Amino acid sequence: MLSSYSPNASSNTHKAKNSLLWRFHIDVPLLLGLLMLMGFGLMVIYSAGGESSFLIKKQLVRLGFGLAVMFFIAQIPPRILQLWAPALYVLALGFLFAVLLFGESSKGAQRWINIGIRFQPSEMMKLAMPMMIAWFFAEKALPPSFKNLVVSLLLVFVPTLLIMKQPDLGTSLLIATSGLFIIFFSGIRWRYIATAVVAAVVMIPIMWYFVMHDYQKGRVLTFLNPERDPLGAGYHIIQSQIAIGSGGVSGKGWLQGTQSQLEFLPERHTDFIFAVLGEEFGLIGVGILLALYLFIIIRGLQISLQAQDTFGRLLGAAITLTFFVYLFVNIGMVSGLLPVVGLPLPLISYGGTSMVTLLAGFGILMSIKTHRRLHSR
Amino acid sequence: MYKRQAVKDYGREISIFYMRAVIALIIVIGLLLLLFFRQFKLQVLSYDTYQTQSENNRIRVRPVAPIRGLILDRNGVLLAENRSIFALEITPEIVGKKQMDDTLTRLGLLLDIDEKQINEFKEQIKFRSKYKSYPIKSKLSEQQVAIFSVNKHLFPGVSVEARLERYYPHGEDVVHAIGRMSAINKADLEKWEKEAQATNDFSRINNYAATNKIGKLGLERFYEKELHGTVGQEKVETDVRGRIVRVLERQDPIAGQNLHLHLDYSLQKKANELFKEVGARGAVVAVDPNSGGILALVSQPGYDPNLFTGGISQANYSALINSEERPLYNRAVQGTYAPASTIKPHLAWLALQQGVINSSTRIADPGWYSLPDNEHRYRDWKPWGHGATMNVVDSIIQSCDTFFYELSVMLGINNISAGMEQFGFGQKTGLDIVEEKVGIMPSRAWKKENRNQFWYMGDTVNIGIGQGFWTATPLQLANSSAVLANDGIRFDLQLVKEFQIGTKVESNIPEMSTEQITTGDGRWLDTVKNAMHQVTLPPLGTAKTAFEGASFSAAGKTGTAQVKSIAQDETYDAETVEDKFKDNALFIGYAPFENPQIAIAVVMENAGGGGGNAAPIARKLMEHYLKSNDKSLASNQPMGQQ
Repeated sequence: MLSSYSPNASSNTHKAKNSLLWRFHIDVPLLLGLLMLMGFGLMVIYSAGGESSFLIKKQLVRLGFGLAVMFFIAQIPPRILQLWAPALYVLALGFLFAVLLFGESSKGAQRWINIGIRFQPSEMMKLAMPMMIAWFFAEKALPPSFKNLVVSLLLVFVPTLLIMKQPDLGTSLLIATSGLFIIFFSGIRWRYIATAVVAAVVMIPIMWYFVMHDYQKGRVLTFLNPERDPLGAGYHIIQSQIAIGSGGVSGKGWLQGTQSQLEFLPERHTDFIFAVLGEEFGLIGVGILLALYLFIIIRGLQISLQAQDTFGRLLGAAITLTFFVYLFVNIGMVSGLLPVVGLPLPLISYGGTSMVTLLAGFGILMSIKTHRRLHSR
Repeated sequence: MYKRQAVKDYGREISIFYMRAVIALIIVIGLLLLLFFRQFKLQVLSYDTYQTQSENNRIRVRPVAPIRGLILDRNGVLLAENRSIFALEITPEIVGKKQMDDTLTRLGLLLDIDEKQINEFKEQIKFRSKYKSYPIKSKLSEQQVAIFSVNKHLFPGVSVEARLERYYPHGEDVVHAIGRMSAINKADLEKWEKEAQATNDFSRINNYAATNKIGKLGLERFYEKELHGTVGQEKVETDVRGRIVRVLERQDPIAGQNLHLHLDYSLQKKANELFKEVGARGAVVAVDPNSGGILALVSQPGYDPNLFTGGISQANYSALINSEERPLYNRAVQGTYAPASTIKPHLAWLALQQGVINSSTRIADPGWYSLPDNEHRYRDWKPWGHGATMNVVDSIIQSCDTFFYELSVMLGINNISAGMEQFGFGQKTGLDIVEEKVGIMPSRAWKKENRNQFWYMGDTVNIGIGQGFWTATPLQLANSSAVLANDGIRFDLQLVKEFQIGTKVESNIPEMSTEQITTGDGRWLDTVKNAMHQVTLPPLGTAKTAFEGASFSAAGKTGTAQVKSIAQDETYDAETVEDKFKDNALFIGYAPFENPQIAIAVVMENAGGGGGNAAPIARKLMEHYLKSNDKSLASNQPMGQQ
């Protein structure tokens, strides 16, 4: 599929220009992939939520809102996004400082801020970060010079540390990752990458003793040995594995998952929804889900390859890979490959804020795909 | 001035990007395969292990319901407790959707469960977890338990469970104060769900995970949060049939708070008895004027709240709802009655205080009053009038209507509605029962808004004798009497005196604080109170017969409210008029006169005159209360009957 990349993009453009969807800046394959995932998600939520139409209605409203945001952003040409990237980044950074100074607490963490509406600035940073780093590299010579590399790393780590302070380790790492992806795609030397990996390994004990909170350490310990806490977090891991495993190849059938429907999974329509899916739809369902995800990722990378400028190319690829990290971490966590991190399964889990951010990201991809200058460089 | 590395090399950039994208894609596919093989291991290679675990070894977290708080009267008499009963419970998941209707029908035949109860049960389970059990019938008799046990094998998913259920030992006497419980319904759940979604706080829903009943009226409703307590939970291991093999961990629930009331059950009971003796409908409210505590809150007839707790049967419900006596109607807090002459002392005080009249202002009473330039005669209850010279004190003692017709015109409606609001008319009394109605304290603005008419002088005339648009609840009347007794200090009325949390006792302090009416010259309050005292005394008091031979001193005011308006050329004849058009009898008062301990309002529907019907009941209740609570009266000999 990657080979479909054609340096002569304009011929492609002329053909598609006639379509109405193109005029509204919608990428049909991407949209279809997203809609299929959402439909799958609604089915699983219906089952996991005890067949409550209430949850479905709420989720439909959220999906509708998310799609509207996506369509809206798709209308904005990438050069405008590029123009606004620094302002957005500075604004998000300002909000993050504000959260630390006078944010609202919920469940022991200070993540919210109230400016007429209550929202999490970290969600804003999820988009602002890759946009900013892409903006930074857009007009620079690539691969970046050492100096530019250092500047870009600073741009990545300042907001990351602020979010880590909230404390929200999971989100801060994800946001850092989205920035680091851009640096990766900018073409930095493998030497640097190797160094970074070594540094990360060295950082692990430092993180363990100086950064991580007890509950986070507990999660890791429990992940390594679920029997350590069979009634707490380990209990969730054991139970979600029983749910998935007992699904077998073909699953127990929609609405028939006995494990999922018992009260053992606390977040079965949000973070642990994959366990319900695995139990009710089996390995086949899991295969379909992973294939849908792969399709979206390939489409995202393809759009990035066809992008007309550096900004769009870097940003598109980073958004796509960040999406992958989300689903990988969630599925890995629920199936016992990774420690428990509070992260929803993208486009499947019940929940609002993070989904809107994700769809906004896909809006950017559609914008990159559909706003094309007819002249070639 | 370009440096060499600052030049953008698009070709190189794109080819590097292309290569990195391919590498990224390969890693992505590799990791997706890793995920897939992880599931493959779980779902195919280890399938048997997990399948067996899922079948055999179900660990569940079960919520444990807290014990609901008790309700006790001021002397510790239990008014609401929890009794252990046998309940027939159904776990929808085990019965299965298809078998549910059949199971319910067969159960109905076996154990006498009617269609209404079945429908209510279905409604109840629709929105709740299918994995918990819900009661379809509580309070099974021993015989019913035996019948079910024999047939148990025919009903998978149905079981008899020992449960605690709300029980009211003196249900019918106290129902209109305590309220009642019934099953949590769809509307409750939807409301909580909405609240929870809006606030992201699911603690309320979680807290009711093991609870099936909720307070629907009265104190049970108002103090639902305090009474309910906090849910506990236990982790249990169950076998394939869902039977508990062992409890792994338990976190005990926290019982609800006990409510200690101001209410005096023996007074409450006495009031009910007195009403039943004469077969009257109506209400009694007794208040401790020194605290605003409710001593009795009676609405007759009552009904048995225990009928509702376990799900009321169709037959019982129809009987209650169709009864002409309207037992479900809480007359004490929701009944709005014309206060009639009972508010004459309040009006008199207002006029004296404002200087509209003084204590020697006299008018002539020919038996009627009419407005200038108007032929309409507003009649006095005494057709031939009270004579040539009536002052304010005489007019209260004998309840002279003509005097108060004129007085109200002199005061004017604006003055009256502002003044009467100080006694609490037209407002909530602050009582801890949400169902409370406010009645109507009419004003020009009120009439414009509600009737879209201007205020006429004639309207004011009627207000002078507590008729016309003016309505008040028995609660407000008792409150207004307490305000007089207490020299103008108004408290928020409260049923609950103290909350008991474990062994700790906390006083109930109402949100609104006390208010003092502007008494101006305290002398005028004394004038009015003295007149009220003489109402209970010979030679002329309208309640003199009722209070004859009483061992305590009292103050009061009788009232007789027309229910049907009488045309100019008609006369009211108690013998011929239909029962439902007979006058309402009212009385307000307090005792002892010198040192008030109890303020009271009695309203009797269609009973006739206030002096002859309501006042005797008030007197007996005052006597009863003072005897049991005031040592100085306890030794006195029985009172002479009227």
